Amino acid sequence: MGDDGARNIVKTYKGPLVRTKDGTYKLALPKDQCELLTHLITELRDSLLTTTDDASLRRLFPTAYHNDAKKDAEYQRLMREELLASRLSSIETTLKVISSSNELSESEVDAFARSINSLRLVIGTSLDIAESDYSDTAATAASSNSDSEIPDADQDELAEQELVQHELYDFLGWLLEWTVIAQSAGL
Amino acid sequence: MARASVQPAQVLEPDVDDATKSDKPWIVIVWNDPINLMSYVTFVFQKLFGYSLEKATELMLDVHHKGRAVVSNGSRERAEFDVYRLHEHGLWATMEHETS
Repeated sequence: MGDDGARNIVKTYKGPLVRTKDGTYKLALPKDQCELLTHLITELRDSLLTTTDDASLRRLFPTAYHNDAKKDAEYQRLMREELLASRLSSIETTLKVISSSNELSESEVDAFARSINSLRLVIGTSLDIAESDYSDTAATAASSNSDSEIPDADQDELAEQELVQHELYDFLGWLLEWTVIAQSAGL
Repeated sequence: MARASVQPAQVLEPDVDDATKSDKPWIVIVWNDPINLMSYVTFVFQKLFGYSLEKATELMLDVHHKGRAVVSNGSRERAEFDVYRLHEHGLWATMEHETS
């Protein structure tokens, strides 16, 4: 699992999401980050509405019976649509609170956390994130295509795209970490 | 009049494997993955199962270091419900019959 980054500075920095004394949550993200999140989450929603079988989405629909294919097929037949509906509902809630409100209820912050985590799962899967990737993600991205047959210009573009993906992945991890800190205050 | 059938009746044989296991509870397993944050996994265990921070952290560390941890057990229906909730939160959870 990934390490916790934000906990080390929690006492000296006010995060982008905090729990208030009345039990609600306040989200304070800069406009550009709100726009970025809206774009990413809208892309995820559109992907889910197109198909749930894409390889990049596989972590959102895991196996339930790891040693019984027959039972798992039955489980997926009954539950996959429900899980999809739940994910889409969380996404709609998240889009709504990002665009129109900086005050979130308990259920809204829960939907927000699940949507951010879904995005991390999708981006992390596409980046093929492994345990050892946490300390040197940028270095890995910069060097990952160096030995291939891809022309230099295309290599540079791929490396750039991967770097951007890593930065998005780290941003989402930072945001989720603060969300967990805020939610944990309510337990 | 209809004649009595001499055809052998079709009998559904019970699934012996399932029958012998039916009295054993199902267990819900969470598997390690490199993407989910340790803090998030701990929080989800607390929220879904009502575990203390200490218990949830212990389970999370089992997942992290041993590759898996049993987070709940019970009837098949209960286990499927727990697996579904863990999937909703993005955790890699599966279920199986307890083996011992």
